[in-house]
Amino acid sequence: MLHLLGVNLPDQKVVSVALTYFYGIGPLTARKICSQLSIHQQCKLSELTEGQLNQVSGVLSGMTIENDLKRQVAANVQHLRRIGTYIGKRHAMGMPVHGQNTRNNSKTAKKLNGRMLRRYSTTTNTAFNLQALGVLRSPLSKGL
Amino acid sequence: MMRTNRISGTIAQKAKRILVNGTVSGATTRSLSTTRAALGQKAPNEARAEARAFTQKERGVKSARSGTATVVNLEDANPEYYSSPPNPTGLLSLNAKTATYSNTNRFMQLDEGFLRNLGKSVYPGNLASDFKMFGRPALLYRDGTNDLVQQLLTKRAEKGSSKASVIDGKAGTGKSAELLKLAAVGASSDYLVIYAHSTFPWVDSSRPYAPGSDGTMYVQHELTMELMKTIHGMSKTALAKVPLGKEISFGKRSLGSTMTLLDLVDFAVKVPSVSQDALDHLLEIASKQTEVPVLIAVDDVNTLWTNTLYRDQNDAILPASRLRLPSSFRPFFDGEKAVERGWVVGATSYKRSLFMPQELNSKLHPAPKVPVANPVLAQDPTLAKDTAEAAEANRLSFDVIALDRMSTAETWALMNFYHKVSVISTPVTDALVAKKWVTASGNPREMFNSVTSYF
Repeated sequence: MLHLLGVNLPDQKVVSVALTYFYGIGPLTARKICSQLSIHQQCKLSELTEGQLNQVSGVLSGMTIENDLKRQVAANVQHLRRIGTYIGKRHAMGMPVHGQNTRNNSKTAKKLNGRMLRRYSTTTNTAFNLQALGVLRSPLSKGL
Repeated sequence: MMRTNRISGTIAQKAKRILVNGTVSGATTRSLSTTRAALGQKAPNEARAEARAFTQKERGVKSARSGTATVVNLEDANPEYYSSPPNPTGLLSLNAKTATYSNTNRFMQLDEGFLRNLGKSVYPGNLASDFKMFGRPALLYRDGTNDLVQQLLTKRAEKGSSKASVIDGKAGTGKSAELLKLAAVGASSDYLVIYAHSTFPWVDSSRPYAPGSDGTMYVQHELTMELMKTIHGMSKTALAKVPLGKEISFGKRSLGSTMTLLDLVDFAVKVPSVSQDALDHLLEIASKQTEVPVLIAVDDVNTLWTNTLYRDQNDAILPASRLRLPSSFRPFFDGEKAVERGWVVGATSYKRSLFMPQELNSKLHPAPKVPVANPVLAQDPTLAKDTAEAAEANRLSFDVIALDRMSTAETWALMNFYHKVSVISTPVTDALVAKKWVTASGNPREMFNSVTSYF
């Protein structure tokens, strides 16, 4: 196993597949990285030279992946919540965000949405939000 | 009080001695581990280890299993089902002397030296499985093969540039096999053979590539070096006869004009980074000289015009024209370059349709031109017309040698050979040959598949 930028990558996988093990890199981005560094499609991670590995590290360091990306996404959701948008409220309620029906299904949204908000207390103190959400104020929030 | 204290002090001293020495006269003590051993108890860690529901496998590189998974002791095996691999004897070796009309419809074995230079188990097309079944690499010397060999010998005697030729036919008709036989005959005579047995690895992004010095073209040093090794092995004598004629420099190292092509190829094999430049020089010098006949044989020649699976640094698909290795051979088939003495021959392949360009396919197999009777439709500009311009646009820059189906005599020879190498156990009769020929439409691959379908 190759340890690169905090992620264990399987040696025997093709490079374009192994790069998808990073949070924030999918098949398209992985293919673009391989094209940029002239790594052929069937090249396995164990076949890369040290210079090529350094080049891959360099490219990945310049991208927003892993914890940086998670932080960015969480900050985006918190911003939407803070400014009181509809999307922010849906995240806070743990409901679907993109206009899906909630009469049935919406299990994934209920499970996953708003997880970035649960760790952090909401400091928004507008009467509208409190009335709309009907949530209890946390002891840390400022009084009205 | 004093007495009690004295007694307790004595006891404490005894206890201390026990703890330090482990034994006191008349009394023995054991350590905890010794006690356990005496009682036959196991250490808690060992007991816990044995109590696991699974065992952790050792981590390591998984090695792929090769060959058969079942090992059979042939001494005890039933001879009806298990037999040693066939070893057909009496096969002639295919070379310039045996490649004559008298040996038509006869199976001939490829030279071991030729195969060694080609590489271990590197056979074009589906021939690897065929040779494994036969027990040795043997091919049928057909009428078509004899025609090709005669053409090769004719071009050897002639001087003057001639058009390239491409062997074309349906999948499984034996195009790759014909090219392999031609290369074997050329290598056994005094030809300078440049034989690319498969060009799919050149375009399917399975081998390393790198941007060239100019930035627009891309090089494949590993593949080029392998090709140079093959050329070195097949045509050592012919390469040594051709002088370079000019000084060639590769950075700090240069080759003098008195050196030969053999030195150039040697250098390219030792220094892979200059192998592409060396190949270009080799093709240029070999094509212009007339001392030694040159045979350039390229299998899967359609890959020279296709889009590859490689991508450039902007993630755009690379056409074969932007790879230096296919681009080295393409001018010979486009009519831009020619060999002064010798022959340039290629063979198409329909094995991977991804690498058969539509334009080339339509030129090789043009749609039948039917005269349009309706005068209104005849004026439609979108309909393909049989005009001189259309003919010029569809004209190919090389000659096409159509490889047709096998004749019944060739099918008979094929079936006889299959019977000899135990591929078929039934005796060969007219009825069997006719049945196989009709059901397979004379296609050798389909005939082979029909007799091995239960293997």
